[in-house]
Amino acid sequence: MTPNIVVTEGLTKRYGDFTALTDCSMSVARGEVFGLLGPNGAGKTTLIRLLLGHLQPTSGQLSIDGIDPGVDGVELRKRVAYLPGDARLPRHMKGGSVLRFFAEMHPGGNLDRSLEVAEILELNTQTRVAFMSTGMRQKLALAVVFGVDTPLLILDEPTANLDPTVRGNVLNLVMDAKRSGRTVMFSSHVLSEIEDTCDRVAFLRKGKLAHRLNMKDLYQRHRITAQLNQTVSNMDAPETIASRIHTTIDGRSVAIVTDGDLAPMLSWVDSLSLSQVRIEPLGLRAVYDSVHTGQEVVV
Amino acid sequence: MIGNTVIDRVLVRKYIGQSSLLFLSCGAALFAFAWVRVWVVSLLDMGQFQTILEQFRDFEKFAPISFDALFTYVGRVGMTYDEPIVILCTVIWCVARGSDVVSGELGRGTLEMILSQPITRKTLLISHATVSIVGLALLCLCVWAGIGAGVYATTLEESIEQPSFRIPIINIDIPLTTDSPETQTIRLRDRVDVRTYASSTFHLFAFGFFLLGLATLLSSIDRYRWRTVGTVVAIYVAQLVMFGLGKAAPALEWLLSMSFFSCYKPQKMTSMVVDGGLAAPWSLTSAPPDCALPALAYPMILLGLGLSFYIAASIIFTKRDLPAPL
Repeated sequence: MTPNIVVTEGLTKRYGDFTALTDCSMSVARGEVFGLLGPNGAGKTTLIRLLLGHLQPTSGQLSIDGIDPGVDGVELRKRVAYLPGDARLPRHMKGGSVLRFFAEMHPGGNLDRSLEVAEILELNTQTRVAFMSTGMRQKLALAVVFGVDTPLLILDEPTANLDPTVRGNVLNLVMDAKRSGRTVMFSSHVLSEIEDTCDRVAFLRKGKLAHRLNMKDLYQRHRITAQLNQTVSNMDAPETIASRIHTTIDGRSVAIVTDGDLAPMLSWVDSLSLSQVRIEPLGLRAVYDSVHTGQEVVV
Repeated sequence: MIGNTVIDRVLVRKYIGQSSLLFLSCGAALFAFAWVRVWVVSLLDMGQFQTILEQFRDFEKFAPISFDALFTYVGRVGMTYDEPIVILCTVIWCVARGSDVVSGELGRGTLEMILSQPITRKTLLISHATVSIVGLALLCLCVWAGIGAGVYATTLEESIEQPSFRIPIINIDIPLTTDSPETQTIRLRDRVDVRTYASSTFHLFAFGFFLLGLATLLSSIDRYRWRTVGTVVAIYVAQLVMFGLGKAAPALEWLLSMSFFSCYKPQKMTSMVVDGGLAAPWSLTSAPPDCALPALAYPMILLGLGLSFYIAASIIFTKRDLPAPL
């Protein structure tokens, strides 16, 4: 068994002159929750659809659990439960029938488990799909996907159209899947969800893999913002911490980005004669903004 | 899965559920119409019918068989297979089901979830085709069953020819009695053998199979169902116009060989059974007098074309990128 369940190498997808994904090389380790981030049209869904064999790659290699979708798509999809970004289900069926249909379609399907998830998500399975709201249809699709027992779960914006309570339930389901040893690939625009669940994150921008981030590294980073009380000629940090500090001064405003333990920093910050000091964890937002605007990612 | 993952029984069940309302509507309409039509045949006196038809002798070339064949109960019942309602119901089933398989599912956005399950695209196509083709076969049997029900349930009033005396030289018949003409009640089944229409039913099936294949092929290329339906209907109308023009103008007779309607000959099969027995339409060796090919070759051409369309659809669908839901 390979350590990485998803592997892509130089994956490229072109539609005529338009390149949806360029030279994407990445891997997802078994048992981790892997986040895919990027603005609309960045190539997240293209990457996912290539992995499932819905699209033929223009060039490059890809595999899930060692299987190339172009060689044995059926065997590959036995190992994957996939929630599309815009999940649509047969409108003539009732919720319960949809769950039964998909549970029977997949060898790893389990109707009882799907009904359990539907109950967690507070979904009435007696309603016909045609009469369900967008949120209800999303819950039904989630019950379909979480009801299937596969080593890999691919979720494309799983919490779209859901209320905050149900969003929380979905994230709990993701964490349950992780605890049971499954791998989850997760695309979302809600950064807090990624922060709460993911172990690693890949940022896509204009079809390119722009940045990779280990969330553990992000949690150890902080931003200190403050106003200078007087002009300080020397803001150099002591040698012991200098390598873990990145300082930006704009007039009287100062921003210090730190890495690692905060305690040794605090005495130095105190010596700088600052006011209106704020210390905040350096969130994903900052990284996302840097990637999105094409700036250098400080972290 | 059945037969080495070719047909998925869960998908088949879904497609049955999806198409059952259309099937029941078309099936009921075809059965009832065929029955009623047979009954209407019994209402029209044969002599009067002949008088009416004689008025239209100039248009005989447009008819699929000679008018003389229509002066019999067998021939008139056989016309059922060319009735617009029968053709319409068959076309509706074939276009609706054929166009649904790819562009229909794409339009509804449901294909993404279904193809994310461990099935091949070929399995999806064949499972869909199984339901559509079996449904088509059952619809054709509904027509035949309706005719059978009509034939077995209908009785006729036929007048018995009065004894008369013909005056020689001037050839005038003088009745030997002045009583009103006597009639007798006979069962239609004594005049019409329902087995006569087996080959006509097969022709209707082949006609539908061709359209199913065509609609499936266009559906596998397209992503909009409305466009698939429009294209199939446009081709159908163009072929019908070509067939009509080919029949009407000797200079355009070459168009007949380019229209699939030339292969749909249910009434011809009926007249062949009347002339040559039940086995006559099933010959692949001897061609009927006014036909270029043996009788069975015509439906086989339609079946062959339909199968080719299905194979092409399978190749295209397997290779194409699946567009994101609209």
